[in-house]
Amino acid sequence: MKLLKPIRVLLAVLSITAICLVFVDFTGMAANYLSWLPKLQLVPALLAINFVVLCILTALTLLAGRVYCSLICPLGIYQDIINRLRHVFAAKKKRRLGLFRFEQAATKLRLGFLIAFAILLALGLCGVIASSFAGILDPYSAFGRIAGQFMAPLWRSGISAAADSAAEHGYYIIDSYPAAAAFNIGVLIIAVATLIVTSAMAWTGGRAYCNKVCPVGTVLGFLSRHALLRVNIDTDRCNRCGSCGRKCKAKCIDTKHHTIDLSRCVACMDCIGACSQHAISFSAKRKKPASKPDTTDTTRRAFLVGTTIIAGSLAMKAADKATDGGLAPLKSKKRVDGATPAVPAGAISLAHLHSHCTACQLCISACPNGVLKPSTGLSDFMQPVMVFTDGYCRPECTACTDVCPAGAIKPIDIEEKSTIKIGTAVVNPEICISAAYGQHCGNCARHCPAAAITMVKTKSGNMRPTVDESRCIGCGACEYHCPSGTAGQISAETAAIHVEGATVHTSV
Amino acid sequence: MSNEQFDSSRRRFLRNAGIFSVAGALAACGIRPQSDSDSAKNTPREMTRRVNHNTGDSISILGYGCMRLPTKKLKTGIETDDEIDQEAVNELTDYALAHGVNYFDTSPAYCKGHSEEAMGKALSRHPRESYYIATKLSNFAPSTWPREKSIEMFQNSLKYLQTDYIDYLLLHGIGMGGMESYRGRYEDNGILRYLQEQKEKGTIRNLGFSYHGDIEVFDHLLAMMDRGEAHWDFVQIQLNYLDWKHAKEINPRNTNAEYLYGELNRRNIPVVIMEPLLGGLLASVARPVTAKMKERRPDDSIASWAFRYAGTPEGVLTVLSGMTYMEHLQDNIGTYSPLEPIDSDEDAFLQRMALEILQNDDVPCTDCKYCMPCPYGVDIPGIFAHYNRCINEGNVPRDSGDPNYRNARRRFLFGYDRSVPRLRQADRCIVCGACVSHCPQSIPIPTRLKKIADYAESLRAESI
Repeated sequence: MKLLKPIRVLLAVLSITAICLVFVDFTGMAANYLSWLPKLQLVPALLAINFVVLCILTALTLLAGRVYCSLICPLGIYQDIINRLRHVFAAKKKRRLGLFRFEQAATKLRLGFLIAFAILLALGLCGVIASSFAGILDPYSAFGRIAGQFMAPLWRSGISAAADSAAEHGYYIIDSYPAAAAFNIGVLIIAVATLIVTSAMAWTGGRAYCNKVCPVGTVLGFLSRHALLRVNIDTDRCNRCGSCGRKCKAKCIDTKHHTIDLSRCVACMDCIGACSQHAISFSAKRKKPASKPDTTDTTRRAFLVGTTIIAGSLAMKAADKATDGGLAPLKSKKRVDGATPAVPAGAISLAHLHSHCTACQLCISACPNGVLKPSTGLSDFMQPVMVFTDGYCRPECTACTDVCPAGAIKPIDIEEKSTIKIGTAVVNPEICISAAYGQHCGNCARHCPAAAITMVKTKSGNMRPTVDESRCIGCGACEYHCPSGTAGQISAETAAIHVEGATVHTSV
Repeated sequence: MSNEQFDSSRRRFLRNAGIFSVAGALAACGIRPQSDSDSAKNTPREMTRRVNHNTGDSISILGYGCMRLPTKKLKTGIETDDEIDQEAVNELTDYALAHGVNYFDTSPAYCKGHSEEAMGKALSRHPRESYYIATKLSNFAPSTWPREKSIEMFQNSLKYLQTDYIDYLLLHGIGMGGMESYRGRYEDNGILRYLQEQKEKGTIRNLGFSYHGDIEVFDHLLAMMDRGEAHWDFVQIQLNYLDWKHAKEINPRNTNAEYLYGELNRRNIPVVIMEPLLGGLLASVARPVTAKMKERRPDDSIASWAFRYAGTPEGVLTVLSGMTYMEHLQDNIGTYSPLEPIDSDEDAFLQRMALEILQNDDVPCTDCKYCMPCPYGVDIPGIFAHYNRCINEGNVPRDSGDPNYRNARRRFLFGYDRSVPRLRQADRCIVCGACVSHCPQSIPIPTRLKKIADYAESLRAESI
């Protein structure tokens, strides 16, 4: 019985590390082995109508309570880490006695958030608003946004610096530099807000967020009341010292009445070690003694702090890199205003993506070409859109479709991908250096993987690109390769050819 | 510069330093070396010399090319510029003269037009009879075709070089621009006649030409000599173990050195060699070729093979090398002091190596940066340098079945991103062609860039 907590801690560390890896890794390697982890998450599984996962999660909760919240939910594990830090920084006496105190369930608040979430999700599924509004409350997606905005940039610059120094010694560990992590002010604000709220609530009240706000916690709470395995108090042994209640971060142990609110218990096993009388057990309504308390897990803390410092210093080194000399200046290309956004092949339609995506940002983190970015619009709030200014959707890549846990981007294979039309390129002859200024260019035609662009002679005698809309799949290679907007000597700020996204994807 | 070359020259330098310090120690003890002559003559290794039968000049087999003189960076505002590092030029000149080099080849066009002036400053510090000056009438630009403009260019050469006679004067780069350009530059304006008069007056001691490009002009000039209309005291051609038989494979406009040398030797015309390293390409070759060369001569630099090859034909007067750094100079002096001619076995070996090198598809870019800046921001020499490096290191897989495919692919792609930012890579070339006319090697730059872009794309897509 005393092993339950170390096992929980070990599994939780593995789980959150793996999820973080999936989120920050841009090579697709982690996703290859670990993309099943995001798919275990409840809300994405619900949206993807993933019966297998839903059944597994239901069965798990009915068997052992809300272990989901302690082992699978990354935001839950994150709050446990905050709790541990709080514990470390607490006064010695307080630490020994425990930081918490039993509270009555905030049932109305919980139900209120659940109902709000359900309404938002229903509106999302009906296509009234983007599902990402509901996703604000989804703990997994919330964690994804935090990982995407805070961890990915650090990780990427760290990897770039590591690969650089490895290459100096003749070792090549990656194919190409990772695209800069997608920064988006809307996502950042939401992520910061989530981070502050969850951290503050965890610091002051243990699993307060999980038991007052989180809709997943509330739903699982309904099931966990009837869990087969549960925390039991042996009233014969209990001396009513109350230490289990003070150690319970879910604040669900009423020591006076020897009752435990199983709808809030996240099966963390902390209470088992807290009881000096071995009166608490995790069992099927059986009373069994447990033994000595836990040891402080300082190694995990040291590991986390250490890696943050290393990643931080590498990031600074990468930023120090000198610039080039003797080269014509370049500028960063702007998107064409008012263009219908393109969304990845596999998303079926804009409506399907809007109603299924909780904006966890996993696809954005997974995109190796720097194409997927979070939207700033309201209709697709924080959801992925494709931006072809710094890269294009490469024909051999299906990274986003491989990782999406919510079924918003359905899995497709490479052969299928080249036949899915996600948009059509449109030429702006007024700023095209070939059509308008008679320069020999044709770079869009030269780099079109679908051979959909033909240069034709205009009345003025200049060549201009034309797009065969029946061939064009909207990959954005033309927009990326267009010198307009990139070459410093050209005044245009956008490409002279850009992709208008298709509202419904079709096959060519 | 290759590591091998550096290593061997460094070794030589250390050895020399050792000899000098020992000599110094002995002198301090009152024991003097047997001879009082200067240290250069004191070394047992003398540089091979060749005699120009026209004037009896004894020329060192190593000639100093003054096209790539050392520079130092100038900071002017945001942009960086460079100017010739006169101190370094003086140092190199002194060292070269002290070690037997006595032929200096410059032109009014080199180093943004400052080469003659810099060499004039460096050389005028030595007795005029201790060296031979070669310069050229570089009237390429049509604005310099009029008679008085061309004459002004020649007179300026005398002024900048601080001399009243030129030992070796060349019609510069005949063949570039074909017969039309040749006639416009030298015949229609009577400049050839003028130069011949200068030779009669003694202002020019030897008159010759350097050849690039259209073979018709080369043949025309030799036919003139056959008819007695002109006399060429020497001719400068491109010769190395690739160009001997395979010049056309490198660039269809070029002619095999075997033919050029044969025609000149038949007429007993002394030959000056340029591009013995083919713009540095033969100083650093593919690993397997390097291994075979090192197996035969472990302590010799890769470049030394090319220099020995170029100096071996008896009709060669001197072999030019554009030496920017002391290490180049020291290594080349070592190779030629004395020249160990290539024997028939080595000749056959180098022809085999030539075939191996040609298979590699290097871009014959010398990193001269004349094509820069590309108006669209493409880093042309950077891309070619990366490509050539990968070829030399065997990291250009042609087939996914290559045993080393995964590793080589990664080295190519990541190395590409490392050395050239994405937005300056070959796929940004829009084929505007602005660079083409600036390339002295006549590299079809946009075509080569497209090939490299396609290759990188196929690696990224893993379609090979």
